[in-house]
Amino acid sequence: MAKKPVTRQFVLPARCDRAVAEALLPEFIAATGSEPLEIDASATTQISQAMLQLLISARRSGSGAVILPSPTLMDVAQMAALSQELFDEARP
Amino acid sequence: MTSEEIQQIFFVECEESLASAETGLAACKTGTQDTDTVNSIFRAVHSIKGGAGAFGYSGLQAYTHTFETLLSDVRDGSVPSTEPLVDLMLRALDTLSDHVNAVRNNSEPPEDGALIAEMTAAQAGGSADVPETGTVTTEVQLPPAPDSSDSSADFSFDLDSMLDDIVGTFEPAPSASWQLFVRPHAGAMQNGSEPLLMLRELANLGGDCTACDTSHIPPLDKFDLAQGYLGWSFAMPEGTSEAAVRDIFDFVGDDCTIALGDGAEMPPFLSVAPAGLPSPQEKQPDAVTAPAAPALVPEAATAPAPAPPASAPPAPAQSIRIDLPKLDRLIDSVGELVIAQAMLAQRLSGEGIAAEEEMALLEGLTRDIQESAMSIRAQPISSVFSRVPRILRELTASTGKQVKLEVFGETTELDKTVIERLGEPLTHLIRNAVDHGIEGPEERLAAGKSAEGTLTISAEHRSGRILIRIADDGRGIDRQRVLAKAIEKGIVLPDAQLTKEEIDHLIFAPGFSTAATVTNVSGRGVGMDVVRQNVKELGGRITIESELGKGASFTLTLPLTLAISDGMIVNVGDQTLVVPLTHVVESLRPGPGDVQGMGAMRQMLNVRGRFIPVLPVCEAIGASSCLTDPERGVLIIVDTELAGQAALLVDNICDQRQFVIKSLETHYRAVDGVAGATILGDGRVALILDVDGLVASTLVFPERQAA
Repeated sequence: MAKKPVTRQFVLPARCDRAVAEALLPEFIAATGSEPLEIDASATTQISQAMLQLLISARRSGSGAVILPSPTLMDVAQMAALSQELFDEARP
Repeated sequence: MTSEEIQQIFFVECEESLASAETGLAACKTGTQDTDTVNSIFRAVHSIKGGAGAFGYSGLQAYTHTFETLLSDVRDGSVPSTEPLVDLMLRALDTLSDHVNAVRNNSEPPEDGALIAEMTAAQAGGSADVPETGTVTTEVQLPPAPDSSDSSADFSFDLDSMLDDIVGTFEPAPSASWQLFVRPHAGAMQNGSEPLLMLRELANLGGDCTACDTSHIPPLDKFDLAQGYLGWSFAMPEGTSEAAVRDIFDFVGDDCTIALGDGAEMPPFLSVAPAGLPSPQEKQPDAVTAPAAPALVPEAATAPAPAPPASAPPAPAQSIRIDLPKLDRLIDSVGELVIAQAMLAQRLSGEGIAAEEEMALLEGLTRDIQESAMSIRAQPISSVFSRVPRILRELTASTGKQVKLEVFGETTELDKTVIERLGEPLTHLIRNAVDHGIEGPEERLAAGKSAEGTLTISAEHRSGRILIRIADDGRGIDRQRVLAKAIEKGIVLPDAQLTKEEIDHLIFAPGFSTAATVTNVSGRGVGMDVVRQNVKELGGRITIESELGKGASFTLTLPLTLAISDGMIVNVGDQTLVVPLTHVVESLRPGPGDVQGMGAMRQMLNVRGRFIPVLPVCEAIGASSCLTDPERGVLIIVDTELAGQAALLVDNICDQRQFVIKSLETHYRAVDGVAGATILGDGRVALILDVDGLVASTLVFPERQAA
């Protein structure tokens, strides 16, 4: 059986609830390495605390993560005082 | 889980909340207005509001918000809890129930403008009376209603409207503000709870999130999704009351720690330990002593106040929701097990194998499993009784009578199928009691009674059946008037000789009503007929006790379940039949001369001076080679709703035992005179007699059939 190539690019669904976070955690762990993860959250319209925590953890692991946010995610991050933590380029 | 399923859970929870609020308000009405009671009502309404907000039911949310604000004032003591206020809240609860039904059925919401105005006036009046308390409550503006065409109207937090709010509230916090720290723990993210929704509510109150504590978030390889790692600091505007903030977190209880005030600090992070393993933060060397169940442990033992208690709160009784079809399958399987066990017993005994000890053990276990399975379906009758106060309020409003309700035995449990079909007959009996039984205040006072009538509803288990009694202290049944009316309507012949009981039962006849005028409450002569039909379908009976001028009581005797029943196994020719025990009065072997012929076809049994028609079951069901001489067979005297008593002639009685009812209609079709089928211990199928139908169709007595 061919080994599945490790991807470092992730596209998040519209609804990022706890179940999605559960599914993504092992994928994120497997993908963590010398390159930052690329997380495309541009289609995300709903987000949970579980997912926010996971994104922050991804930013702090390995080479970090670059998140492409949707307007919703940006606004939620702003409401929760997490904009810098999630999107600031200076803080991977 | 789909959003429809989650919505269904919301509606089930709404029902529970409504019942809880009803119980609480009923307690308030009787004078129990302690903090716990008011809190329980508040929590119930708050739960509905929270769910309504999550699902985007803006009308329901707006209405519950007004109701909740009033309750909050009552809870704070800023509005005194008076009797008129409790009455207002009861009416508000009725309308809340209508609101819930409206969103559930996707129908028009009830007219609530006047009630909202009344509740708002009650709030304003209360706070105007006590300005010196200094309690400042900010009127919470609800978020704009979400666009119903938006697909996010399903279970999801409505981020669009949330964002609208955020845009509106992201202004510099007023200089005069107070600090709030919020730390949702693991439990706050479970069971569909979402801490971000609470942050939104804080933002709605004008709160400004100044910082987020992310220091506990580990790298991915140590990341645990069960943990709540984040904590937030909010600057709340000075005008916002602490109570309004605490209300937001009422839902989650200990699952979210908040600290507020000038000296407050961020509550410590509590990690939840996975089952059987010590938490990463736990530094105890002896891992074996780690608790088996998830437990919250503080990260630092020296956590500053206001830290929550270090130990986990006592676990409440746990419950899970199960789909009814799954339970039905379990009950079916248990029924099959009962049959299989009986078959095994019969086979062993046929083979001459004595395994008494083992069979007794198996029988005991089978019975245990059967009882456990049935108890899963059992529900307290309070779910039916809890509707009574509302029915009574509407009745007292429409009739102008004063009625006090007394309820006993609401924890009595019975099968869900019975509970579901009990609501209608109970409603009719209550309407009947208030409309016909209980007199108006003047009439009562003239009769030397208190102006307020009493309606007593009770439930109790007795000999494997449930007795539900609906009693009033009204005028009782006027038998002369009932009989005269029955004769006038042609329900009985003018010369009919009826006993007291038979006259009382005339009120169940279709079309019978003694009401002079047809009102919206009663008078059409339909209700009591429905009661009799419902109770009959449930395999139960109604007995009436009445004393003129003193009151009347209706007792419903019902089986605890519809799936398993007690019956007499009888032989009729080549057939084995089951006679449900609910109908059986007695059985006897007639002596010489006890049975006398009447006309060419009929025989009558003399039972202690009273003649009862004999019904040869053989002819009725078309069995062959059966006994025709009553003196050689056995007569089972049965009681029926439609045709009084009759004596069923059978060859012999071979057993009396529980049987599992299998529907004939489901597998074949309805058969007159047959209520269903069951499987006997030897594997044979036996038909269950529909005693009512059989007797009524075979013995036609015009004057009594109508009764």
